[in-house]
Amino acid sequence: MGNKRMMRFEILRGCAAIFIAIAVAFIFILICADDPLNALYCLLVRPVFNNGALNISSIYMILARMTPIIFTGLAVCVMFSANQFNLAGEGTVMAGGFVAGLVGIYVPLAAGLHPVVCILVGAAVGGALMLIPAWAKVKLNASEMVCSLMLNYVILYVVMHFLSNVFADRSQGSVQTYPYLETARVGKLIAGTELTWGFLVAIAATVLVAFFMFRTRWGYAIRMIGINESFSKYSGMKVGGIIVVSQVIGGVLSGMGGAIEVLGRYNAFLWKDLPGYGWTGITVAILAKNNPIAIPFAALFISYLNRGCELMSIYAGVPAEMIDIIQAVIFLFFAAEQFMAKTRQKMVVKEAKEELAKKTEPAAEGGNA
Amino acid sequence: MADNEYVVQMKGITKVYPNGIAANQGVDFNVKKGEIHALMGENGAGKSTLMKMLFGLEQPTEGTITVNGEEVSLTSPTVAISKGIGMVHQHFMLVPNLTVAENIVLGMEPKKNNLFMDYKKAVEITEEYAKKYNLQVDPDAKVRDIPVGMKQKVEILKALVRGAKILILDEPTAVLTTQETEELFKELIHLKEQGYTMVFISHKLHEIKQITDRLTIMRGGKSMGVYNTADISKEEISRLMVGRDVILTVEKEQAQPTDVVLRVRDLEYTNEWKKKMINHMSFDVRKGEILGIAGVEGNGQRELVDMLFNLNMPDSGVAKVNGHNILGESQRKIRDLGVSLIPEDRMTFGMAGAASIEENLISDRCAQKRYNNGPLFNMKKIHEDSDKLIEEYKVLCKNRTQKVGMLSGGNIQKVVVAREFSAEPVLIIADQPTRGIDVGATEFIRKKLVELSREGAAVLLVSADLNEVMELSDSLIIMYNGQIAAYFEDTKDLTDTVMGEYMLGLKQQSPEEVRRVQHGE
Repeated sequence: MGNKRMMRFEILRGCAAIFIAIAVAFIFILICADDPLNALYCLLVRPVFNNGALNISSIYMILARMTPIIFTGLAVCVMFSANQFNLAGEGTVMAGGFVAGLVGIYVPLAAGLHPVVCILVGAAVGGALMLIPAWAKVKLNASEMVCSLMLNYVILYVVMHFLSNVFADRSQGSVQTYPYLETARVGKLIAGTELTWGFLVAIAATVLVAFFMFRTRWGYAIRMIGINESFSKYSGMKVGGIIVVSQVIGGVLSGMGGAIEVLGRYNAFLWKDLPGYGWTGITVAILAKNNPIAIPFAALFISYLNRGCELMSIYAGVPAEMIDIIQAVIFLFFAAEQFMAKTRQKMVVKEAKEELAKKTEPAAEGGNA
Repeated sequence: MADNEYVVQMKGITKVYPNGIAANQGVDFNVKKGEIHALMGENGAGKSTLMKMLFGLEQPTEGTITVNGEEVSLTSPTVAISKGIGMVHQHFMLVPNLTVAENIVLGMEPKKNNLFMDYKKAVEITEEYAKKYNLQVDPDAKVRDIPVGMKQKVEILKALVRGAKILILDEPTAVLTTQETEELFKELIHLKEQGYTMVFISHKLHEIKQITDRLTIMRGGKSMGVYNTADISKEEISRLMVGRDVILTVEKEQAQPTDVVLRVRDLEYTNEWKKKMINHMSFDVRKGEILGIAGVEGNGQRELVDMLFNLNMPDSGVAKVNGHNILGESQRKIRDLGVSLIPEDRMTFGMAGAASIEENLISDRCAQKRYNNGPLFNMKKIHEDSDKLIEEYKVLCKNRTQKVGMLSGGNIQKVVVAREFSAEPVLIIADQPTRGIDVGATEFIRKKLVELSREGAAVLLVSADLNEVMELSDSLIIMYNGQIAAYFEDTKDLTDTVMGEYMLGLKQQSPEEVRRVQHGE
């Protein structure tokens, strides 16, 4: 099939998956909401419109919450492109955020420089941690999926140990660190909202990753390995090295996302569980079909739904967990290779026939014994 | 003609694969009861696709299939078998670790006490059928230990035991020696006498003439007509198959070989089943010559190539390119020494199907200065060179961004060849470079290969296609059983009869004669 037609099919398929997901969600809404229409209104419209006017504060909230999932989405996108099913986005977000937070508390630096250093440290921590599953994969042929999944819990409990036993602010009612130095905070992009400069950094990261993936030899190698590892090896690429690089880049991106989130949204580190951005990043990357350029749009969509679910739980009594159901259904249909395969086949047949009609054909000769 | 004399009628069959290739377009195919019907055509003409539909492995996009006068929907091989259709695949579908008898009753094992497999009964069944149809096999031998010819008999028996009355034989002689082929033909005629119907897929003209009653010729996914074998000449068949009188003789000047480029000494390799695949092999390939390696497949050719490109490690031995070791070196290093490889398995090693033509063309050179501006790709240069290669190698495509997986086999191979030949190689290893691709592409690739060798590249050509090795090679090795059975300095006066004797192990040159392939040292 032509590239364009393929693209059209993929978009159609994506829309169908989303539509089905929302339809499934609506069934649940019918079951648990007193006023299903109001619930649906909260889910789909209220995030941007309320009482006939733009819901400005909510719009900023949607944009702000895109920031971490753009980073984890990009991370997953790079790793999945190399065919590495690394799921440690979750843990590296947490570790990157935690260490960046510590730098923000204990290392006094000049105002402009401080958040930059914190974020870079967070990125380095994320990258370094990803070396573990990457190295185990290349040297020991251990599944990066299992390794990285387990790594999340190791990171969680190590962070929890240091948070509650070493760095806890005992004067607070809950387990959290001392507040960050004012100089370390990631500044607000618009005063009085959750939206920080981090959002612009995320957009910049998107552009950078897109360039990296499509305009550099390393990004190219990552993609080729993802498509056909044997071919890459035969072509003379350093397959092992590139596999490690792809996962380290994933770690750097999610560590960065974690750092920006903890320094932008809160005034002290207070995560007591895995934050969930890593998992959402996987949904985002799958929605974006591993295309970095599409990541912000996928993140916007998920963030919008998130906000909708939040409003639904506040105003219509539908549990906020609805977002997980919607995400799961979208995930299912996107990942299902055979979903709408018949439609695809019909399109293929149509195109093949058009092509054949164009060609001049060898005429069958007599011969009928 | 009354319809009921046909056991199989396929009407207006069209098949479009998910990758958009229309392998069959409105094909009619009818088989009479008790005949051996040849299905002929070049590779890619759609023969296999048509037969896969008859055996239920694929479903037609359009058209109807009638078996014994009843319209059927063959949704799986199980359904096809229940209608009395059996297929003998080109690549045997046998379990190597099981015995012949176990393979034959696989999935329909006779039971003892309804619980255990009755092995004795399985052997009895095997022997009974083997005797009845005169297909001699050893029921207790493990399939991995038996020769190819016997494997084929096991496949045929498997189909017969399952009640097949119509047998589809997919290029049954491709893997057989001449003697085995003769034997097979006797057995097939014996089956025919007992009322069986056979569809015989092949593109070997003399075999078709020898054994079949009627033939259907396919070309480009369409049927070119049905003929009585006796009434049609070989020349006519050939014309219908390829559409024009193709004479695949490549004009080439006398080779002027100079220095040794590839030197191989005492190479040995034992495979994972402890079979010695390469036994003390030594040879040299010189600059400016094409050294052909001929032989029946499975005599160590594939293992040899794998080792020269470090896809496998030998037990011992030496292989050097211009004095530098290549055994166990990274593919990067081997390529940097100027070695190019056209891999036998192009789908696995030669290309990334979901990537564009352009991306496939730069895979070995993406790190070169020429294509990079600092950290970024120099897209302009990449586009320029890709377009140039697509044009020079006549790759039929929409443009450079088209996915390679969407191209036809011949064009995929042209992409592989364009990349490998444009790397300015000092040594080209071409492993089955034209297998399964159309005549036009074949001719083109062969010409290029000769051209490059005359410009000074050393070429090692491995091919199971006798015509190809004889036409292209300046000198020739015949491999048999992991060894060099013969070396011919000049291929001009070589005949296929002579080659056949060495290929089948009937003859073997003396060590002194073979040693002539080592030039110096």
